[in-house]
Amino acid sequence: MAHKWGMAVDLDRCTGCEACVVACRAENNVPTAGEDQAARERVIHWIRVERYWEGEFPDARLKFRPVLCQQCDAAPCEAVCPTYASYHNQEGLNGQIYNRCIGTRYCANACPYTVRFFNFYNPVWDKPLHLQLNPDVSVREVGIMEKCTFCVQRIKAAEIEAATDKRGLKDGDFTTACAQSCPPKALVFGDLNDPTSEVSRLARSRRATLLLGELGTLPKVSYLEQDSWHSEND
Amino acid sequence: MKSVDQINHDLLRPVVHTSGRFWLVFVILGSVVLAAVGAFAYQFWEGIGVWGINRPVFWAFAITNFVFWIGISHAGTLISAILRLANATWRRPVTRCAEVITVFALMIGGMFPIIHLGRPWLFFWLVPYPSERQIWPQFRSPLAWDFFAIGTYLTGSIIFLLLPIIPDWALVRDKTSGWRHGLYRVVSLGWRGTPRQWHRLETAMHIMAVAIIPVAVSVHTIVSWDFAMAPVPMWHSTIFGPYFVAGAIFSGIAGLILAMAFLRKLLHLEEYLLPIHFDNLGKLLLMMSLLWFYFVFAERLTTWYGNEPAEMAVFWVTQRGSFAPLFWTMVFCNFLIPFPLLAISRIRRTITGVVIASSTVVVGMWLERFLIIVPSLSHKYLPYTYGHYRPTWVEITILVGTFAAIGLLYMLFAKFVPIISIWELKAGGHQKPAARAAEAVSARTSPMGAKELELRPES
Amino acid sequence: MERRDFFKISAITGAAATLDACGKPEQQLIRFIPDEDLVPGIATWKPSVCTLCPAGCGLTVRVMQGDAEVVRNGKLGLIRMGLAKKLEGNPQHPVNRGKLCARGQAGLQITYNPDRVRHPLKRLGARGSGEFQEISWDDAVKELVSQLSTLGQKNEAGSVAFLTRPLHGQRRTLVEVFLKAFGAPAPVSYELFDEAVLRRANLLSFGHAQLPTLDLARARYVLSFGADFLGTWNSPVAQAIGYGEFRQGRPGLRGKFVQVEPRLSQTGANADEWIPARMGSEGMLALSLAHVILNQKLRPSSPGHAASLISGWAQGLPDYAPEKAEKLTDVPAAKIVELAQEAASHEPAVGVVGGAPLAQANGLATAIAVNALNELLGSVDSPGGIFFTAAPPFAAGTKLPEPPERSQGRFGALNAVLQEILLDRPHSPKVLLLHDVNPVFAAPPDAHVQAAVEKVPFIASFGSFVDETSVLADLILPDHSPLESWLDDVPESGLLAAVATVAPPALYALYNTRAMPDVLLDVAHQLGGNVSASLPWKTYDEMLQAAFADVEKKAGAKSGDIWKKAQADGWWSSGEGSAASGKSRLSTSGTPSHGAVTMSEPQFDGALEEYPFSFLPFASTMLYDGSLAHLPWMQETPDPLSTAMWGSWVEINPRSAERLGIRQGDLVEVTSQHGKLQAPALLSPGIAPGVVAMPVGQGHGNFGRYAGHRGANPVSILAAAVEPETGALAWAATRVKISRVGEGKLILFAGGMRENAAEDENR
Repeated sequence: MAHKWGMAVDLDRCTGCEACVVACRAENNVPTAGEDQAARERVIHWIRVERYWEGEFPDARLKFRPVLCQQCDAAPCEAVCPTYASYHNQEGLNGQIYNRCIGTRYCANACPYTVRFFNFYNPVWDKPLHLQLNPDVSVREVGIMEKCTFCVQRIKAAEIEAATDKRGLKDGDFTTACAQSCPPKALVFGDLNDPTSEVSRLARSRRATLLLGELGTLPKVSYLEQDSWHSEND
Repeated sequence: MKSVDQINHDLLRPVVHTSGRFWLVFVILGSVVLAAVGAFAYQFWEGIGVWGINRPVFWAFAITNFVFWIGISHAGTLISAILRLANATWRRPVTRCAEVITVFALMIGGMFPIIHLGRPWLFFWLVPYPSERQIWPQFRSPLAWDFFAIGTYLTGSIIFLLLPIIPDWALVRDKTSGWRHGLYRVVSLGWRGTPRQWHRLETAMHIMAVAIIPVAVSVHTIVSWDFAMAPVPMWHSTIFGPYFVAGAIFSGIAGLILAMAFLRKLLHLEEYLLPIHFDNLGKLLLMMSLLWFYFVFAERLTTWYGNEPAEMAVFWVTQRGSFAPLFWTMVFCNFLIPFPLLAISRIRRTITGVVIASSTVVVGMWLERFLIIVPSLSHKYLPYTYGHYRPTWVEITILVGTFAAIGLLYMLFAKFVPIISIWELKAGGHQKPAARAAEAVSARTSPMGAKELELRPES
Repeated sequence: MERRDFFKISAITGAAATLDACGKPEQQLIRFIPDEDLVPGIATWKPSVCTLCPAGCGLTVRVMQGDAEVVRNGKLGLIRMGLAKKLEGNPQHPVNRGKLCARGQAGLQITYNPDRVRHPLKRLGARGSGEFQEISWDDAVKELVSQLSTLGQKNEAGSVAFLTRPLHGQRRTLVEVFLKAFGAPAPVSYELFDEAVLRRANLLSFGHAQLPTLDLARARYVLSFGADFLGTWNSPVAQAIGYGEFRQGRPGLRGKFVQVEPRLSQTGANADEWIPARMGSEGMLALSLAHVILNQKLRPSSPGHAASLISGWAQGLPDYAPEKAEKLTDVPAAKIVELAQEAASHEPAVGVVGGAPLAQANGLATAIAVNALNELLGSVDSPGGIFFTAAPPFAAGTKLPEPPERSQGRFGALNAVLQEILLDRPHSPKVLLLHDVNPVFAAPPDAHVQAAVEKVPFIASFGSFVDETSVLADLILPDHSPLESWLDDVPESGLLAAVATVAPPALYALYNTRAMPDVLLDVAHQLGGNVSASLPWKTYDEMLQAAFADVEKKAGAKSGDIWKKAQADGWWSSGEGSAASGKSRLSTSGTPSHGAVTMSEPQFDGALEEYPFSFLPFASTMLYDGSLAHLPWMQETPDPLSTAMWGSWVEINPRSAERLGIRQGDLVEVTSQHGKLQAPALLSPGIAPGVVAMPVGQGHGNFGRYAGHRGANPVSILAAAVEPETGALAWAATRVKISRVGEGKLILFAGGMRENAAEDENR
């Protein structure tokens, strides 16, 4: 059975440390915008940790929520791209074909999660920071959209390796950069078509919700809501 | 009543004589257009980064301009077609101005889908051609529909414009010598004014007039679906199709009035473009202003009543938040100022009154496009992702350049084509408006009459 | 010889010859230097150690072949070599078990930073002008040797000061042995967030002068007093791993977490309950909780050692009854009772303290109070509580346990040296050696660091970057970046067993740099005599190997076995104090005697009337204590709470801001009795009205293109207040006043602040 890649984000485990944010940009050659472009709201973070305040002092509370491309099964971005740069692959991923993108930016507008990013200029790495670039991931040029790919380069590499060794892929054989780094294990990646995988188990949790699920995008990231303390202990 | 010779003289003069003022205006407009081209070249080289757009406001000025100019294009051909079919005689001096505005506005507007691309040199991937890799455009995308819609409308409008010009080009051919004679002989396609040619022309124009109306309606509906098909708060609404078509016609009529007013002044057509024309167009403008108000009111009331959180965020930011100044300016420009100016017939019968109303409408309609796009994009579903937008000089230059461009194109057009359709005017018998009533009914362009006039030698 | 070796040698010599022979390095053909096991496009993974914070997490480095411009034999050239591409946590390392924090991920940008010093430098212009000239290593080392030997000859060996960030492992041994053999004083360690108070308190309470290891995974109730244990404090990755399990790792059981602090930190944002106690009153709150537990007999009350230190404990802490504590802490009495009852009834409950509550004059008493509370809750050396990492069986050179006499607070030691210089004392340093420390940036103004440092006749720095302290140096001997160095560490906390982390370099050095330990060894040998004899190794890895040889002998293992295994795995453990036994060795027999500790109210610098706000500088999640400001990834990653990037900000409560006419983003001036700074204001519901907070990290003068001249440094307005017993800097004890200056610029990643947009006042 074909894989269907998904993720689970346990909001009760997430501490807001943003290790995932940095791990992702290191793995995927995400360019650094710099102060001026940051001031103009053009920073690219394929995964971000949203924070929302509730209430006022002294009853203020804060919630963290890591948001990344939801790899929607009914993705609005795929419907509106005029050149098939945004497309759905057979493993459920929303792929972004950099070469095909002409930069209409319609997909970014259509995405309700605002997880798509645009290269407003040609990205620059002050030498020798470019030595860190991951050779498995393309560097995008000006005018191209980019977003989280569920580390498709790792998926492909793992699949190729498994095929070469004539074995199937097991849950935990590989994972995305963000999930790999996350200390409290809030991010879990895996095959939703494997009912025994960790991500499938978490997606079945009673705490599992979908972000903006009511819009009908059929996202493949399950968010496990924070538990209240009293529900289980009293 | 003016003689045929007088008419010929007045209406051919811009084509035949070039005043010093022409060159001055040409240089000024040309420089502005060049500046805009330069700004685009800068953006082409550096990237969209030189604009003010960002995440999440990925569309702003360029798409506003796109929708605005496509909107301006709507009045021309549509008005001309409807008025032809309805046989409104007052249309005669107006039709060509109108058709021209459509073509040029479409051309300008149609450039923006290319201008706003991140990689504009690959725009041709939007054209459905059998590529080596068998990749076609993604036809579910409203942007792909745009390509077809605007392409069709542009083609149709050009045909609709060129058909009635042929007899006038023939007239210029006959009235001039030298290089002009040669040029106009080519473009008049051997027009001799025979009954059969007239019959063909009439039939073709009739077909086009009928066909262009649904095309025009569909074009702006499809353009509106660029927004309505995306799940963005206050975009995803069924009202967008009719709303945009109405708004387009509204802005188009205002644009047409302004164009006519300019031409009247610059080409000394005071005897031909009369207050009655402006009065009638003003009535149309009034009607569209009311229609616009109805659509806006209906949409906003429904949104407010529904109280859906994401939509309300956009609603309030336009109504009383950071976009409120622009929003209320728009309401003033589109309704509160034009309505009294156009409803009071004493004011409407003055050209100045109608022109003022049209000017505010043009501004207001540009603002309306802007306010549809930017507040929604800057307030999407996740509040963490709210953003701001501020244009840069590049976008402003390009915007100003489009206005200069249409002026320039118009100027050049008027230099090569009589801006008022001479044969139609003559066929209608140029009379003071008050005395035209009975004649209007039977004033179907008489082929015999026109030919008769034509054959009389120039005195 | 083997074919591979032949190719290697000829390629290397060939490369050197070619690089020498040719003209422009940029136009040279790429010389192929085969690296073992490197196939183009295929990665190898090498172990390493993260050195960006004291936790000492284990790394695994993805190394792939690439083309890099390097310096060889003083010349620039392009070679093909193994390049580090990505850092991941070492899955086998017991501290971080394959996980890595945001800062650790950015470590690569140190190695590849464009502002790295690439050659030894000698000062050319005036001191501090930043004008240096490149010199050779021979000359550089000779210069240092001559400076030191001159002092030695004049019997002034005692006038050498070695100023460093606290050293770990064999590096510490090397430096200490070097200085001792030379006759110089022991190294002076300084870092801003040093936790010296906590170590002293743990020494007095439990006999371990070290930071505790938290067993969060088995706890049911965590009460943290100001400790940012999920962000920057102690061993954040290990603690976050435990926290994940604490919350959702045990089916049917979810721990409760309460954070006590006046400003909600990144850690506190995850708490089930936030108790905004008054600044500096945390210890009193702890005592009040103890009072409730003692008086209501909620726990068996055989007093522990820490408790016995606290005056009033035996009487049941009458001064800290909830009603009295309410006035001292701003926490309602009913809430105090509720918390105490909760903690006592949800075993295992553990108290954690660190950060701002200890950076006060009453910090030591606060720490001991929390220790006593832990004893009362039964969470010392017990599952779900606090443990102390076992000491490894090495001959020498671990950083723990700290001999009591050297647990003096870092700032006190630094200040003492600075005072010697400023007051022209007889043995004030004539040679100052700087290693991985930036006191001009990280010490308060009244320490007069710059003035003192400038007075020293000769200054040498081992730094990789020119920062505001090393710019004053006469000689810069650039160290390798961590990934290019032999690294070793003995983690102080974050795990139960004793572990030695050791790793060879993950990639060849890019530039003409040298590892500081190697330089010291070279200097030692050139100095000769006692110094040379005490350090009989040519390179640092030889010294490391010798340390392991000792272990191998003790363990009865074959020579080289443990050494090889340690290098391959990146760590080695003897298994002592391992998780299996779940017990660390509490050594109450080792506690020094100490008089009764009286809790007192905190003392703040600046009168309340004139300086109405308490000033709270906090370790920024991305920039830590400012030492990571030169990494662009850290500048661009949004701060978790404010989402600010590329700049500083001052957090202020919205009511307070309104009173002062300050709106979001306005530039404000923050003034203490010791200085003033300007930064944009950020209105936050997560801070008490009487407190303003600022992240530490920005405000560098020099520090490269990404860090230099950006934002403001809160340390520059701190009072040089100390905790009296340890001399540790009381960096949370300064009061300030705020006023609006004009329009400012806040670069935030976030748009709205609240999920329900209608609540958002600021948009």
